[in-house]
Order: sequence, then C-alpha cells, then structure tokens
Amino acid sequence: MSDLRPDYTLPTPGDHLRHTDRIAALERIWANGRGLVGQLTAVNHTTIALRFIVTGLCFLLIGGMLSMFIRLQLAWPGLDVLDPERYAQFVTMHGTTMMFLFAVPIMEGFAMYLIPKMLGTRDLPFPRLSAFGWWCYLFGGLFLYSSFLFGSVPDGGWFMYTPLTDSTYSPGKGADFWLIGVTFAEIAAVTAAVELIVAILITRAPGMDLTRMPLFAWAILVTAFMIAFGFPPLILASLLLEIQRAFDFAFFEVARGGDPLLWQHLFWLFGHPEVYIIFLPAAGVVSTLVPTFARRPIVGYTWIVLALIATGFLSFGLWVHHMFAVGIPLLALAFFSAASMAVAIPTGIQVFAWIATLWAGKPWLRVPMLHIIGFFITFVCGGLTGVMLAFVPFDWQAHDTHFVVAHLHYVLIGGMMFPMFAGLYYWLPLASGRMPSESLSRSAFWLVFIGFNLTFLPMHITGLVGMPRRVDSYAMELGVHWLNLVSTAAGFVLAVGIIAILVDVALCFVLGRRNDENPWQAPTLEWALPHPAPKYNFASIPEVSDRDPLWREPGLVDATRRTDGLLADAHGGWRWILGTSIQSAQPEQAIRLSNSTWYPLLCALCIAVLLAGFITSQYWLSVLMLVPLIGLFLRWLWTVNGRDAPLEIEVKPGLWLPTQAAAKNAPGWWALVGTLLIDGSLFASLVYAYFYLWLHAPAWPAGGATFTAPAPAAAALAALLLAGIAAWRASAAVRATHTQRAVGWHVLAVVAGVAFLALQLPTIADAVGAPQRHAYGSVVWTLAGFHALHVAVAALVGGFVALRIARGHVDAARPLETRIATGFWHYVVAQGAIAWAVLHLFPRFA
Amino acid sequence: MSLVRTLGLLRLSLPLAVWALHFVAVYSLQGLACARALWRAPWAGLEAMTWVLWGLTAVALAVIIASGVPAYRAWRALRADPDGRADTVRQRFLFALAAQCALIATIGVVFTAVPVALLPTCA
Repeated sequence: MSDLRPDYTLPTPGDHLRHTDRIAALERIWANGRGLVGQLTAVNHTTIALRFIVTGLCFLLIGGMLSMFIRLQLAWPGLDVLDPERYAQFVTMHGTTMMFLFAVPIMEGFAMYLIPKMLGTRDLPFPRLSAFGWWCYLFGGLFLYSSFLFGSVPDGGWFMYTPLTDSTYSPGKGADFWLIGVTFAEIAAVTAAVELIVAILITRAPGMDLTRMPLFAWAILVTAFMIAFGFPPLILASLLLEIQRAFDFAFFEVARGGDPLLWQHLFWLFGHPEVYIIFLPAAGVVSTLVPTFARRPIVGYTWIVLALIATGFLSFGLWVHHMFAVGIPLLALAFFSAASMAVAIPTGIQVFAWIATLWAGKPWLRVPMLHIIGFFITFVCGGLTGVMLAFVPFDWQAHDTHFVVAHLHYVLIGGMMFPMFAGLYYWLPLASGRMPSESLSRSAFWLVFIGFNLTFLPMHITGLVGMPRRVDSYAMELGVHWLNLVSTAAGFVLAVGIIAILVDVALCFVLGRRNDENPWQAPTLEWALPHPAPKYNFASIPEVSDRDPLWREPGLVDATRRTDGLLADAHGGWRWILGTSIQSAQPEQAIRLSNSTWYPLLCALCIAVLLAGFITSQYWLSVLMLVPLIGLFLRWLWTVNGRDAPLEIEVKPGLWLPTQAAAKNAPGWWALVGTLLIDGSLFASLVYAYFYLWLHAPAWPAGGATFTAPAPAAAALAALLLAGIAAWRASAAVRATHTQRAVGWHVLAVVAGVAFLALQLPTIADAVGAPQRHAYGSVVWTLAGFHALHVAVAALVGGFVALRIARGHVDAARPLETRIATGFWHYVVAQGAIAWAVLHLFPRFA
Repeated sequence: MSLVRTLGLLRLSLPLAVWALHFVAVYSLQGLACARALWRAPWAGLEAMTWVLWGLTAVALAVIIASGVPAYRAWRALRADPDGRADTVRQRFLFALAAQCALIATIGVVFTAVPVALLPTCA
C-alpha cells in the first residue's frame, strides 16, 4: 500500500478511486505474508528469483575462498598451506560449488526474475514449484557443505571419476555427501527447466509471437530444453554410483562385469552440454544488453535464434572430447573432434551479430557495457584455446595440465561471469529502484578484468611446460614458480574485485541515487515496470506489436500501469495470469495461481530428512519419511483447482476466456510434457548404460543369470497394456460425463498396474538372482526397478484422479487432471514396453 | 511451396534432430564394429561398415536437404510477396530459421562424415 504512486492516468475523481482500489487489491493479493512466516511461505517469482541470485552469490564467495587457498598452496613449490588430502577436498569443492551451486542456479535466478517481466506477465506458471526448487537448492548446498562438519569432505574431483570414488578407494562418506547433495540441489535445475519452458511457450503477452520474443527468452527456452536432456545423465550416474556404494551393486566395478568408463560417458554426456547450459543464458544477456547500449535493434535476430538452437543440439555431440585420453578408437575421437569444431560456427555467428550491432549503432559505454567488452575479449580467447583442445593430438599433449585449467576458466569466467556481472548492473535499477555507483563499479570491473587475466594467462604457459592440474605441488625444475606466484597474487586482485562488485551492489540498495524510469532507455518490456518492480509486475497485462516494444510503442508504459486492461480486475481475490497460444500469442486462457503456502518448504524438508536417513544408513527413517512426503505432495495437488474455480472469467470487458482446468493448452499439460522429456532422458540414459555394459561383456546374460520365463513375462506385458487401455477409457468416460465409469476405469488401471508388477518382478528374480552378483544383474534390476517406480507413481496419480472425479473436482468441463493421469499412464506403458523388450527379448538375441 | 504451409517449433528442429540421429548411429555402429567386429568383412574394396556409414550419411543429408530446400523456397516466396500481416511475418521467420537449421545440420553431418573418409574404422 505504501508503494502507491500518484495517479496520473485517469483524470476524473470517480475513476481515480476505482484505479487506486484496483491497485490496492493487486498489492494485497500478490504480497508475501508478514514477517518470518511470510518469508517461509513465499512463492512469488520476484522473491524466489532474488533468493536464487543471492544464494548463488554466497556460494560464489565460498567457492572463491576455496580457490584462494588453492592458489596459496600453488604460489611456490613445496608449500604446506594445504596437505594433499585437504588440497584434493578444496579442489573438489571449488569446482562442485562453482558449477552446481553458483553458475547454474544463479542463471536460473536471472531467468526466473526476468522471464515473466520480459514476457509481460505477473508470475511463473508454477510458483510453488519455483519455491520448492529453491528450498531443494539451499538444502542440497547445505547438505554438501555439512560434510565439513562431519570431517568427510568429498575429494574425488568435481567429476567424481570411478573407481576412485567407489567404496573401495573412497571408503568414507565424502563421495556420498557429493552424490546426494548435488542431486538434491539439481532438483532445482529440472523444476526450473519445466517452469521456464511452460512460461515461455504459453504465458507471453498477447501479440508477442515467436518473431517478437526477446532473445533472452529464446536463450532460456533452448537452455531449459538442454537441462531437460542434459541433466538426467548425471542424475542417473549419481544414482547408480550411490546404489553401488550403498548396496554393493556392480555398475562400475570391472571384477564383476562393470565398467568405470560408463561413469565418464554419463558424466560428460551431462558435463559438456552443461557448459552451454551456463553459456547460453549469458549469451541471452549479451543479446539483450548490446542493442540497448548500441541504441539500435539487434542485427541478425533470426541468425541469433538459429545459433541458439544449433548450439543446443551440437553441444550434445562433444562429450567425448573430455575423454580423448582414455583409449577410445581413433575414428570415434575424430567424430567428437569434428563436432567440437562445428559448435564454434553457431557461437561465431552470435559474436559477429553482436559486433555488427555495435558497429551499426552508437555505443554507449556504461558499466554493464564494460563487462560485455570484458566478456568479448575473454570469451573469444577461451573459445580459441577450446578449438585447439578439440584437436586430438594437441589434447593429448595438454591433457591434465594447467593449460586446460586456463582454458576452462577463460570460457566459464569469460562466457558466464562477465555477462552475469553485466546483467547484475544492468537490471539492478529495476530491482532496487536505484543506480549503482559509477566510480566504484568501474574500479571493480578493472580489478576483476586485470586480476582475472593475470591469474589465468600465465597458466597457458605453465600448462604447456608441463605443470599438472589436480596436484598440490610441482617441481622447482619446471621453472614455473614465478608465473605461479604472479597467478596467486593476481588471484587475490580478482577476489578483491569481485568483493568490490558485491559490496557495490549491496550498497546500491541503500545509498544509490533513486531512479524509477528506464535508466538505460532499454526496449524490452521489463522496463515498463515501475522501479523497484511491484510484486504483481503489470497492473494490466500489456499487448505488444513489436520486437522492441518500448522503442516503438510510446503509450505502452502508461497502458501497463492503468487498470483498465487485461486482468486488471482481481477476480475473486486470486492470483491470475494470462495464457496465450504458442506461436501467435493470442489470449487463450486465464491461469489461476497459488498464493503463499507452506508446502514447498515442508516437502523439501521431508526430502532433506529422507536423504539424511539414507546417508547415515538409517533406511527405516528414509522409508518413514515417504509417508509425509507423499501426503504433502497429494495435498499440494489437491489445492490447485477444483470445483470452486470458475470455468471462465472476463479478462477485460467483453473478453471471456476459459480457466486452465478447461483449456486445451493448459500449463499442467505442458508441464507433463516437459517432465516426461526429463524422465525420458533419464530412462534413455539407463538403457544406454545397459547396452554399454553389454557391448564389452563376453556373455549376456552374465553372472549365472538365465533367460526369463516367457509365459509370465508375456502375461506381465498384457497386464501393462490393459492398464494403458483402462486409463484411456477413463478419460473418454469423463468426457462423456460418466463419472462412475471413469472412476471404475481409473481403478482398473491401478489394479492392472499392480498385477504387472506382481508378474514381472518375480520372473526377473527367478532368472537373474541378486543384483550384487554381476553388473548384468545390477543393471537389469535397476531398469526393472526404475520402471516399477513409474508404475507405482502412475497408480498413485490414477487413484488420486479417481478420487477427484468422485468428489466432483474433475468432470467433462474440467478434464485437465484426467488428461494428465492418462498421459502419464501412456508414457509409463510405452516406457514399460521398451524396458520389457530390453529385459526379456534382447538377451535372447544378443 | 504449398507443401509446407505452416511450420512449428518441432518441424523447425527436424534437420538438427537428423544430425543428432546420424551422429548417434554412426558413433554406435563404429563402437559395435570395434568391440564386436560387426560388418568388418571387406566389400567392394572397403569394409562393409564403411559403406554402411556412408549410406547413413547419404540418407541423413537427403532428409536434411528435403526439409531445407522447401523451407528456403517458401521463405523466398513470402519475401517476394510481403503483406505485412503478423502471421506472414512469423511464417517467413520460421521458414528462414528452418532453412538455416538445415544449413547448419548439413555442415554438421559433413563434419561428422569427414573422419569416415580419412580414418580406418578401428585404429
């Protein structure tokens, strides 16, 4: 309420009153609760995104502190700042923190903050999911760092290669802290991916069709799809290694038919796309800032979109270039070498488009632009050493030396941190309503730029001379001690620069000069908001007709602040956002969102306790925690949209739109599609692991296992197909308003699913025996178990929806939930059919 | 031109998806050839596997070109006849993007195929 601005839009006293009433209602509806409870229950995207950013910056400081110790140890040969054990721990935690707890989450934070504001909407489509993601990220990070308290810090490197990290060579709990903590934190990445895909596809402002979408949104869309396909291999690898460590399975153990290289394949199948998952959002930031500071529209919009999409694909064909030295046949190496060079093409397209934009414009060298220039210089150098390393013979020379350390820091700091700082300064006025200090910010940039280059440029030389990475010292005879001393000294300059930037940003919120109107004269929609942005973002959802709306549509800012446009009226006191069609962005539906709630925090807490039980081998506690966890999730789902929600609302005078339970392109439906992409990728990674182990096995089935019995296997498949048919009939019955029949079909699907499990699992037990005997048994049981879990979830979802139908929350007019249940069942049946063929048929033909 | 009237995000990515499938197929078959001696027997002067890899490359390029050329033509047609409507502008953008994706995918497939010409299957 206190934030109300003088009204200048509506002249007459009566209208003025109505306007202030409506603004007051929006303020009230979108506000977080009061005090600590309000903070713990907040779900609003502005709040959650800022938390992601602040948490990410905290982890940047912690990871940076670790690197200062590393640099001190390497300042001169034979120092004793860290003993070898501590050194390995600090190197591991530095890399892990920077990749998983800083780079990825902070870019998610930027995306979650900016995407709704840039697209002209009020929030992300699943606010509770965002909040849940942030809690998982926070708890996962704390979980990982709690290893310091228990004296078992992970020390296997951020890449956790087996066999070093299996229970024989890493007997403590260090590796478990890594595997569980990182996977816990990654929940945030996959939930953010689903959230952002749906937000970008169906919640853009009316008129913002695909050609008018901001390039940052394109970058985030591609990134979110890459997370959906790229993170599951790592999640799977972590699960397999943790299962091996906890239950003595044999995926990576040679003596029992496993293969340590399987870990490397799965890890880098994630690890290389990961580099682009970090870089593409940063490229989106650059594509947003360059036109603003060149003061002209971007050159080559279509080409930049092409570059983003092409990078998204090509980056999945590079992973083996991290494995050039492990003994893979030369032709295979050459495929990856060629793809590693090909990916430079789309990146080059973007760089030239940015240069052309600056060339054709009238560049304005403000602080964000300084960081963009830092990005250009640094990133191009890192890209060029990347092309050098893509050559197999050169890689063999430079492998495992500080040359690689130099390369990867040029790419990551150049490609991600400079654009991130540019973005931080650029959007600071929007978040704080104040301008950063011009003098401190410029000095800080130069400290970072000079400090960075003096730290890492010498490492190209020390690496080529032969200084190994990941080792706590080096020989005086190499003659690189002076260069190392320079690196260490400059490393501290870099650290001072980063701290200066963070202090500058923090001070800005208190001391900065107030500025509430588009300080950079930027063209994108987020700058139509008052600064600092109100929680509801736009009083009226904007309607746009250009790619650079604020440059081309002078009346737009006023229109978004008046309360006579789309969704300006608070219907029933709920949080509403507008849904539009994917290609043309025509208004299609009104989406009702959740208010503040405890569910995200409570669910994340349950998972934390569950995982704590697992790591301490108190498995009863883990199993026990499933009860509140499932209960909370079901309750969470129950409170979304029921029979109390209207079927349609008037979003502006004369325009009625269906609400999401009745709409075809409902966010829940697209969230299912996104989730199944992630899950499908997880499943594909597991099937890949199966065939990888088969490829190098002398016999298959192995380890004393036999073929499964054909009759019960065939009966199991029939039961599974029956479940799929029943789920399909259930949705048809809902559409035909046969409520009882719909409930019956859903229940039949559950029964058929249980019958499938009862037939399939004993058949496998008879043929394969214990999973610990051989890698064959390990992978077969994991595949069967993975699918069994899906059947259980489908049964839970089906039962839930049956109950919702019986209670009148789902019917012919609100069919969304039964559509989702049926869609999930069909996916589970398809996955089961593939798994069935792999488990029962393939061994007979292998 | 009239073959491809509307184009979605999924169709747009088809050429790059073909690149990905080609990459996976070529890499997997090469792995099978080396680990399991699949199709190593010589056939018309080259290993049978080499012919298979060439065949897959030809198929991939054919599919990519078959999706890229109509998109390019549709883009040219829309450029020659601009009516300024948002739908037309968007279609033109999508056709341009599809043609460019096909171009990049072609380069990608050729890049992947070059080693097949230069190296023995298993070395």
